[in-house]
Amino acid sequence: MLTSRTFLKRTRAGAVRKIVREHYLRDDIGCGLGGCALCGGESRPALEARPGGAASSLCPGPHFLLPDTNLLLHQIDILEDPVITNVIILQTVLQEVRNRSAPVYKRIKDVINKQEKHFYSFTNEHHKDTYIEQEKGENSNDRNDRAIRVAVKWYSEHLQKLQMEEKVQIILLTNDRKNKEKAVEEGITAYTCEEYIKSLIANPELVDRLASLNDEGNEIETGRIIFAEHLPLSKLQQGIKSNLYLQGTFRANRENYLEATVWIHGDGEEKEIIIQGLRNLNRAVHEDIVAVELLPKAAWAAPSSVVLHDDENQNEDDVEQEEEKEKSLRTSSSNSMLRPTGRVVGIIKRNWRPFCGMLSKSQIKEARRHLFTPADRRIPRIRIETRQASTLEGQRIIVAIDGWPRNSRYPNGHFVKNLGAAGDKETETEVLLLEHDVPHQPFSQSVLSFLPKMPWSITDQDMKCREDLRHLCVCSVDPPGCTDIDDALHCRVLENGNLEVGVHIADVSHFIRPGNALDQESAKRGTTVYLCEKRIDMVPELLSSNLCSLRSNVDRLAFSCIWEMNHSAEILKTRFTKSVINSKASLTYAEAQMKIDSPSMNDDITTSLRGLNKLARILKKCRIDNGALTLSSPEVRFHMDSETHDPIDLQTKELKETNSMVEEFMLLANISVAQKIYDEFSEHALLRKHPAPPPSNYDILVKAAKSKGLEIKTDSAKALADSLDSAEFPSFPYLNTLLRILATRCMMQAVYFCSGMDNDFHHYGLASPIYTHFTSPIRRYADIIVHRLLAVAIGADCTYPDLTDKHKLADLCRNLNYRHKMAQYAQRASVAFHTQLFFKSKGVVNEEAYILFVRKNAIVVLIPKYGLEGTVFFEEKDKPKPTLLYNDEVPSLTVESTTFYTFDRVTVNIMLDASNVQHQKIRMALVEPKLVGTSVPSQATQLNSNNEPKKKKLKE
Amino acid sequence: MAGLELLSEQGFRLDGRRAGELRQLRARMGVFAQADGSAYLEQGNTKALAVVYGPHELRGSRGKAPHAQALVNCQYSMATFSTAERKRRPHGDRASAEMSLHLKQTFEAALLTRLFPRSQIDIYVQILQADGGNYCAAVNAATLALLDAGIPMRDYVCACSAGFLEDTALADLNYVEEAAGGPQLALALLPQAQHIALLELNARLHQDHLPRVLDAATQACRHLHALLDRVVREHLRDAAALLGK
Amino acid sequence: MAPARYCVPGERLCSLEEGTPGSGTYTHHGFIFASLAGCFMKKSENGMLPVVSVMRDVDSQLLPDVGATVTCKVCSINSRFAKVHILYVGSTPLKSPFRGTIRREDIRATEKDKVEVYKSFRPGDIVLAKVISLGDVQSNYLLTTAENELGVVVAHSEADVRMVPISWCEMQCPSTHAKELRKVARVQPEFLQT
Repeated sequence: MLTSRTFLKRTRAGAVRKIVREHYLRDDIGCGLGGCALCGGESRPALEARPGGAASSLCPGPHFLLPDTNLLLHQIDILEDPVITNVIILQTVLQEVRNRSAPVYKRIKDVINKQEKHFYSFTNEHHKDTYIEQEKGENSNDRNDRAIRVAVKWYSEHLQKLQMEEKVQIILLTNDRKNKEKAVEEGITAYTCEEYIKSLIANPELVDRLASLNDEGNEIETGRIIFAEHLPLSKLQQGIKSNLYLQGTFRANRENYLEATVWIHGDGEEKEIIIQGLRNLNRAVHEDIVAVELLPKAAWAAPSSVVLHDDENQNEDDVEQEEEKEKSLRTSSSNSMLRPTGRVVGIIKRNWRPFCGMLSKSQIKEARRHLFTPADRRIPRIRIETRQASTLEGQRIIVAIDGWPRNSRYPNGHFVKNLGAAGDKETETEVLLLEHDVPHQPFSQSVLSFLPKMPWSITDQDMKCREDLRHLCVCSVDPPGCTDIDDALHCRVLENGNLEVGVHIADVSHFIRPGNALDQESAKRGTTVYLCEKRIDMVPELLSSNLCSLRSNVDRLAFSCIWEMNHSAEILKTRFTKSVINSKASLTYAEAQMKIDSPSMNDDITTSLRGLNKLARILKKCRIDNGALTLSSPEVRFHMDSETHDPIDLQTKELKETNSMVEEFMLLANISVAQKIYDEFSEHALLRKHPAPPPSNYDILVKAAKSKGLEIKTDSAKALADSLDSAEFPSFPYLNTLLRILATRCMMQAVYFCSGMDNDFHHYGLASPIYTHFTSPIRRYADIIVHRLLAVAIGADCTYPDLTDKHKLADLCRNLNYRHKMAQYAQRASVAFHTQLFFKSKGVVNEEAYILFVRKNAIVVLIPKYGLEGTVFFEEKDKPKPTLLYNDEVPSLTVESTTFYTFDRVTVNIMLDASNVQHQKIRMALVEPKLVGTSVPSQATQLNSNNEPKKKKLKE
Repeated sequence: MAGLELLSEQGFRLDGRRAGELRQLRARMGVFAQADGSAYLEQGNTKALAVVYGPHELRGSRGKAPHAQALVNCQYSMATFSTAERKRRPHGDRASAEMSLHLKQTFEAALLTRLFPRSQIDIYVQILQADGGNYCAAVNAATLALLDAGIPMRDYVCACSAGFLEDTALADLNYVEEAAGGPQLALALLPQAQHIALLELNARLHQDHLPRVLDAATQACRHLHALLDRVVREHLRDAAALLGK
Repeated sequence: MAPARYCVPGERLCSLEEGTPGSGTYTHHGFIFASLAGCFMKKSENGMLPVVSVMRDVDSQLLPDVGATVTCKVCSINSRFAKVHILYVGSTPLKSPFRGTIRREDIRATEKDKVEVYKSFRPGDIVLAKVISLGDVQSNYLLTTAENELGVVVAHSEADVRMVPISWCEMQCPSTHAKELRKVARVQPEFLQT
C-alpha cells in the first residue's frame, strides 16, 4: 500500500521547499518473536518466545520492554547492561536517536546486533497497522510519541492473539510524564525508567547507573545561577552566518583548568581564541564544538604561563576562590603577547565519552553525591551519585557525563564500570589503554578463523609466483628480545663488480586478505602499541611472531626490494618482487656491531654486513647533505625485574652504527616504493608527509639559542641542520643535544595521506620529495596497504574495489593517523607510569638537570640520565610566596634575586609524590642553586663537578 | 544532522521498499485521442506522458532520412513544474537533448523500421513529475504509446534503473537515492530475447560489482514487463468490448 | 465468435513450419513473432500453410508502396510535373496526406513528349495513380498515370460543376456544355455511380 509523506523543509539558502516522498506500508514485517504463527515466523527471531529478563516486582510475569527516545539517549548504559534483555526498539525511536546523537546510535546498533541480548528493531513506520499520519495541529514530537503508543498497543493486542500459555506483557518505558499519562489512559502499561529499575529484585546496582536528569519542571533550584544560558542552535547558526559568533573546537588547557583555547574552523588557516575564567568557559568540555563571541580588544588577554590545577581539597561550590585565581591570570603582559579572547555563548555539539578516573569521596559521611576526578586533566570533575562510595574509593572507575545545569559548578554524571584498584599495574595499564582509545580486547573467534591452519608450509602454488631467494645470505638485525621480525637485508658483489643490495620485508598481505574480519580488525587497530611491559598486537600472534616473522633458518614468504648499486651507493637498477627467503641469522644490534668490528670474522654474513655498513655511511652523508635532520629525543629503556616485572633501572638508549645502517636501508626502501606506487597510482597511493613547521613554531628554539649567543637559521631544513651542527659551546657540550631536543618539540606531526586528496608530498625531516611506510607491515596497517598497492603495480596481485576508492583511502589515513597519535601518547604514558614505579622503589634521588622551558611560576627541567622531564614549582601552598619576576622576551624567571635562563644547569631532588593516587607526580625540588626558603638540602653526596657555564649571580 | 539513511539495517529503504522491489506502477493507454498512439505512465511519483505520431511523411530535409528505413524522431522534455525547483529551460538544454538521443537509439533498435521506408515516426515524451528514473519512465511510456499506435515492434522495451549502496544492489532508484551520488545504471531491455537496447552507467563502479547490479536491473525489467503486459492485455480487452466484438 | 486470443509484440506465435508470416508479424531464427498488440488470426488457405497475422481494430497506417494504386488530389501544376497530395492508398484513407509528383513523361503511356500537363490535369482534380518510386533525397513519391485505368476521376469545371467524361482525353461540364481537356481514367462500369 502506498501513501505519501509531504512536508516542508528549509533549504540552506533560506528558501522553503515542499518535499513529497513515497511511503510504502508493508504487511510482511514480523513482530520479532520466534515461532510467531501470525507473522509467519522469523528466520532469525530476535526476541525470545518466553522472555527471561530480570525479574521485576512491578511486572511479575515475562515481559518485553519498549523504551522511548529520551530514555534511549540518556540511559544507554542501563540498556547495555547484560541484565536487560528482550527489548523492542522502534524505528521511530531509532531514527530520532540517529539524528540527535551519533555515538549513542552506534552503541544501540551494536547492542541490537548482539544475539544474546535479544533486542529487536521493529520497523513500525512501514508496518501497515502501526503507521500514523501527523494530525493537524500536532507537532512532530507529539506525533512520534503517539506512534510509539500505537506500536505498543499493537504489540499488546498481537501478543494476546498468540494465545501462549503464559501471558507475555509489553511495557512502555518513558520518562516523559505526559506520554506516560496518555499511555495509561489508553490502557498501556507504562513506567518511568527509575520505577522499573528500582523494581528489579535481583539487581540493585543498576540504580547507580541511572543517569541523573534535570527534572523538567524545576530548572531554577536552590543555588544561584553561575553560568550564562546557552543560546539555542538556531540563534547560534544565525550568529555564525552573520559573523557575530565563530564556530570551533574547544581545547582545554592541560596545565590550567581556568583557561582554554578554541580552534576556529576557518577555510584553510586556523585561528585560535583564548577563553579565560570559569564564567567565560561556560560549561564547555574538551573536544566539544562550541560557538564563541569575541570580546572587545580591551579585554584581550595573553595565554597564561601559570600552571593551575583544580585542587582536590577545595570546597566544591566556592566560586569566589575561582574568581581570585582568575584575577591572577590577568597579569599585565606586553601587547605583543595579547591574543584574541572570547567567551563561549553556546554549544553546537557535545563530544562526551565515558571517562576513566577516581572517586574523591565527599567529606560528609553518608553522602551519596561525590566528586569524580578524571585521569585526563583536561576534563572537569564530575559529580556522581552512588551508594557504593566506600567500595569505589581507591579504585579506578569509568563515569559518563549526563548534563551540566547552569547552577552547578560541576557537571552531573553516572557511574558506569569499576576497573580495579588504582596503582595496580594491570588496572593502570587498562586505564591507559582506555583513555587513549586503544583497542586491546583479545581477537574474536571470527578474526581468528581467518588465520591459516597449522602446520603451515609454503605450497607449490605460492612458489610459482615468487622468486626463490633462499640461496642468498640474508640476515636480520633487531633489538634484543624482538619476536616480530619485519625486515632482513643482504648485500653481495655481482659479476660486473656492482653491488646487489636487497631489503626483504615480511609478506603480511599474503596472509591478510582484503575485506575479511582479520583485515577489518587490523585496520581498526592501525598499529601495534608497545607499552613498557606489554605489547598490544595489531595482528594475532600466530602471524606476528611466527608465520610472518622472518626468523632465522626457516623458509618465509617475503616482499623484496632489490637494488643494483655501484660502490658509491648510486642506484643503477631497482626491482621489486615477491619472494621466498631463508634468513641465515637473526642478530641484535650489538651482535652485528661486534661482527663488523672483529677482524677475525670473515664469513658470508659478516662480509654482507660490512658491505651494507659501508654503503649506509655513504647514503647517510648524502641525505645530510640534502638537509635531513638528525634530532635526538631522550629515549629511555627500562630494565625489568624478571619476576615482578617492576623496573630495576633506567637506561638511555644508545645508538650504535648498526642502528643507523638498518635505518638507512629502510628509508631507501620506503622512498623507492613510494616512487613506484605513485607512478602507478597517482590518485590512490598511500604516502607519508611531514609538513614544514611554520616559522612561529621555531620561536622557542631561536629565543633559547639567542640567550646563549648562538644563531639558529630556520628558513630551510638544510639551514636548520647546518646551524644545529655548528651550534657548539665548547664549555657546554650537552648544549647541542639540548638544542636538538628543543628542535624536536618544534616539529609538526608526520601524517599519512592519500595522493589524490593532497598536493604537498614533501617530507621535511628526511628531506625527501616523496615517502611512505613499507618496511613494517607486521606492526603498521599502512604498510599492508602499501604492500597491496605495490603488488598490483608489479602484477603479483589484483585490486579490490576499496583499494581504488580515494575517499575510503582518505578515511583510512585519518584513522591510521589518529591511532598512531594515540599509540604514541599511550607509550609515553606507560613510560611515565613505570618511571613513577621506579622512583617509588628508589626513594629520593639527587640528579643533575638542565632547564628546558621557563614559565611564570615554575621551570621545566630535563634530567639527561633518566631522560626525565619535570616541573619545579616555586610557589608552595603552606609556605610564604617568594617574589617572582617573569620576563617572557628573553625568556627568564627571577626568583628573589636568582635569575634562571633556558639551558641553565641545576641540581634537583627527585621523589615520588604519591599524595594524589591518580596523578602520582614526580616531584622535583631545587637543590642547587640554593635559594632561601625554596631549595632543598641535597640528600645524596652527588656533586656536579663538570665545567659550569658562566653562571649568573647566585645568592649565597 | 546525519544524512538520510538510504538502506536500514533491516534491509528497508527510505520509502519502505526492500532492495529489489519496484515502485508502484500505474499506466493507461489511449489517453490522447488526437494522436496516433498515447500512453500515461506513473512509476512511483515519476509521471510521464508519451505521444506517438506516425508513420507519416518525412518532414524537414529528406537528407537526414536513413535509406530504406523509417526515421525515428524523439523529443524528450520536462515540464517546468516537474522538479522541486521550477525549471527555467524545458526544451533544448543539454540533458534533454541527450535523453532524446538515448530514446531514439533505444527505439530504433526495437521498432521494425524497415517496413516504413521514407517515412517518419514521432515520439514525444513529456515528464510531468520527476522523482528519479526519468529516462526509464519515458521509455516505458513510449513503449505503451507505440503499442497503442499499432506500429510494429520487435518486442516490448522495458527500462529500469539500478544502483549500488553498501554492498547491495538496489533496483528502481527514486530521486533521493539518485542524488546521494552513488553509481547509477539505466538498463533498457527487450525482455523476450533478453537483448539490451541501451545500458548507461554514470559514476564509477568496480568491475566486481557490475554483474550484481546488472542482475538486479534485469530482474526489475522482467517484473516491469509482466506489469506492462497486464496493462496492455486489459486495454485490448476493453477496446474489444467497446467495439462489441 | 470464439474468444479472441490477444498477443503482444515479442510473443512467439509458432514456428515457420506451421504457418507463413502475415501482417503484424516478423520472423526470427525460424519462428514467427508478433509485432503488434492485437488479435491473433490464423487463416488457413486451401492446401497451403495457414497465414498467421495479428489484427488490430484500428488498422495501422498504410504507406504507399511501389506498385500500389493511390488516389490523390492535384494541388499545383507546372510545365514539367504536377504536385499531388496522396489521400487514399487502395481504399484505405490516410490520416495525413503524403506528397507526390507526377512527371510530364509519366502522364501517358504513348506520345510522352507531346504531352502538356495543362491539358491533362488541373488543380483540384482527383486522380487515380500508381506509385513507381518512393523517391530519393530530392523528390517525393513518384506517381504515374500511364495506364488506361489511371488518370482523372473527378474534376470540376470553371463553373464549379462536376464534369462528365466523354473520352479518354475530354470531359464536359453538364451545365455550360464546355469541354475541357483532361487525361481521363477508364473506370469500370460497375464502379460508376449513375
